[in-house]
Amino acid sequence: MTAPTLPRVVAAEWTKLAGLRGPALVAVATVLVSGLLTFAAANASSVDPGFDPLDSLTAGLSLAQVGPLVLGVLVGTGEFSSGTFRATFTAVPRRLPVLAGQTVVTAAAALATAVLAVGAAVAGLLPAARSRGIPLELTTHGTPQVLAGMVAFLVGLALFGLAVGALLRRPTPAFVAVLAVALVLPIALMLATDVAAGPTTAPAGDPAALQSAVNTLVTLLPSGAGALLATPPGAGGVEGAPDLGPWGGGLVLAAWVLVPLAAAAARLRGRDLT
Amino acid sequence: MGPTTVPGNASTTPRAPGRTGVTLGRVVAAEWTKLAGLRSTWWVVVGTVGTTAALAWVLGLFARSGDGRTAASLVVAGHLLAQLGPLTLGALVGAGEHSAGTATTTYTAVPRRLPVLVAQGVVTTVVTLAAAVAAVAASALVTAGTRATAGTALDLADGETVRVLAGFVLDLTGVALLGLGLGALLRRPAAALVSATLLLVVVDHLLATNPGQAADTARALLPGAGTRLLLDDAGLAALDAASLGPHLGAWGGGLVLGAWVAGVLAVAAYRLRRGDVT
Amino acid sequence: MIEVTALTKRYGRTTAVDGLTFTAPPGTVTGFLGPNGAGKSTTMRLIVGLERPTSGTATVDGRPYAELAAPLHDVGVMLDARSAHPGRTAFRHLLGLARTHGIPRSRVDEVIATTGLETVAHRRAGTFSLGMGQRLGIAGALLGDPGTLILDEPVNGLDPDGVLWVRGLVRELAAEGRTVLLSSHLMHELALCADRVVVIGRGRLLADATVAELEDGGSLEDAYLQLTAGAVQYRGGAR
Ligand SMILES: Nc1ncnc2c1ncn2[C@@H]1O[C@H](COP(=O)(O)OP(=O)(O)O)[C@@H](O)[C@H]1O
Ligand SMILES: [Mg+2]
Repeated sequence: MTAPTLPRVVAAEWTKLAGLRGPALVAVATVLVSGLLTFAAANASSVDPGFDPLDSLTAGLSLAQVGPLVLGVLVGTGEFSSGTFRATFTAVPRRLPVLAGQTVVTAAAALATAVLAVGAAVAGLLPAARSRGIPLELTTHGTPQVLAGMVAFLVGLALFGLAVGALLRRPTPAFVAVLAVALVLPIALMLATDVAAGPTTAPAGDPAALQSAVNTLVTLLPSGAGALLATPPGAGGVEGAPDLGPWGGGLVLAAWVLVPLAAAAARLRGRDLT
Repeated sequence: MGPTTVPGNASTTPRAPGRTGVTLGRVVAAEWTKLAGLRSTWWVVVGTVGTTAALAWVLGLFARSGDGRTAASLVVAGHLLAQLGPLTLGALVGAGEHSAGTATTTYTAVPRRLPVLVAQGVVTTVVTLAAAVAAVAASALVTAGTRATAGTALDLADGETVRVLAGFVLDLTGVALLGLGLGALLRRPAAALVSATLLLVVVDHLLATNPGQAADTARALLPGAGTRLLLDDAGLAALDAASLGPHLGAWGGGLVLGAWVAGVLAVAAYRLRRGDVT
Repeated sequence: MIEVTALTKRYGRTTAVDGLTFTAPPGTVTGFLGPNGAGKSTTMRLIVGLERPTSGTATVDGRPYAELAAPLHDVGVMLDARSAHPGRTAFRHLLGLARTHGIPRSRVDEVIATTGLETVAHRRAGTFSLGMGQRLGIAGALLGDPGTLILDEPVNGLDPDGVLWVRGLVRELAAEGRTVLLSSHLMHELALCADRVVVIGRGRLLADATVAELEDGGSLEDAYLQLTAGAVQYRGGAR
């Protein structure tokens, strides 16, 4: 007889995750989307005179981010939606190690997916770069930091999905919440400024104030903050928003992970499991 | 004891006369009973109205007099987030039978199956219409101050205003039916939600940020084109001026969304009709 | 009357039902017996048209189930203990079902009373125990006062009281001239309430006989174990 130690719980959670078809499909789709979109973006701009293939490096992120997000929610809600939580939490009555185990496993799965996705993005740049005879310089001008930031961004979003999933427990509300906060809300806000700053705008308004307020909001949302991670150092923030830099963006994203995760832990400790 | 008593009376004749069968009207009544009996339905309605109005209010804070925005467009400013509500409703109705295990009961009662999908379409449409009208009303209320600041007024006798407000309601209804079709096709609410959000919002935005002939054309043919229904004339003109793709106008965008709804529902109906339910 | 003729269902490489032929005549309780995974549930889903057969036919009163105009009045079906949406109350679940056939609300109250669910009728089905879910399933099957009943493992999860009640209920239904097909993996359960037993293993028919014929001097249990000796797929080992 041996107790359920954290490594054992992690191993158990990994076994569960690896046995599911959904997350595997999501991971494969993420890598493909990342590679293909980057390839398409680089190809499209390769005819531009000042073409730099690295400009297209992050072109696939806006779609590829959906994968880790979905992966995290699936793990976070999986126990409760499938009813396996009864078996799981009788095996590990202290409960919190299960959440810790899920966090570790999600981070690991997302990390693997993210590394492959970023690799695919780099590979997607190669044909365009070669067609123009431009060598791909991955070790200079802060590119290593951008690559690492892309990976961190994707892993962070997976953990955000996990935290919200573990907190809300039911998949539908959890998906609605993460889709709204991470994907739809930033786009809704940006579109609103586009409309206001469009050709019909009269100078009487103050589009700059609007722009900076909205950009600040977008920057503070998980995907906006995470995107800062993948900007080269010294690129400056989004116009009008406080320039948090990669580290600041990382911290904001970390808060989006830690706050719901702590709430999920409190709920797991303190409440009934149904 | 009457003929509908079970059991205990040997005189009860199985299949007594005067019993009538399944009709589409009855299936609609049944689906309505089922939908109204779920708390999630009412949460979605309340959530849709609340988030639409809240976003319209927040965005309205930035409106200035003379910025050229029509009163109607201020009212429907929350539409992108508002779409999530009807989408969720549709996905839950379409996939719920399968994900919650009620398919056995439902399709043994209605073995022809397709009337269930039709009835689900009817009740989803009704609830979404009501929620969308309520969302417009709530948004109109909370943006009253905004309109005063911006120096515009909501004129319900104005054709453009009516088209924008009605377009909002129509777009949300189309989105709900798209969610229903994807839910019935994929049989998992989460899969339907994610794929519909990708189609409606994320891919559209991706294409919008990488404009070009191909991207603009693809954009015009995605279900997100339905949002043209609620763009005011100036917004439409600006969109068309910037687009190298087909210029659809408001109703053309609505037709594109309608075609998507019809297509997805047809594939879902085919799967339902031909395949196994469980 | 249920007639199953050369019925076959394959899922990829698994053959769940394999050329099965049997009839369940009216006025009798036909027991449907077989080890776990024998294909009992699949056969029942095929009979009520939830799944399409790979080949063969199944009819109720001479017609394919899908062609019945008022299926709830012809066939009562209970296939899953958890066939109600967890978020809906038992009453709502039954009312939704009743509305498809224009069955009045009073009939819903009647079957709730018959199955002893009065006190929990307005609780959400997600909070039900297995036995309560089972009773709700039986209530749904009785709703249309059908001439044929198809019940998949109806005594699973019921308390001793409930088991006795189901036995009495199916005997009574058959005595009224109805057709009852009732599956179980428990032979002694069927010995107590079935007139005839159809035994299957790995989707194939192993025996179709009256309980008395099967017992043939010995116990039904012995007969069953002998019949299924080659067809049990999941067997516990010694420990
Ligand atoms: N939807 C399905 N997909 C694949 N295999 C299935 C499906 N349903 C049943 N089976 C398989 O068919 C066989 C018969 O199952 P079932 O009819 O449930 O048996 P029983 O009810 O007698 O225990 C089993 O091997 C089972 O795994
Ligand atoms: Mg079974």
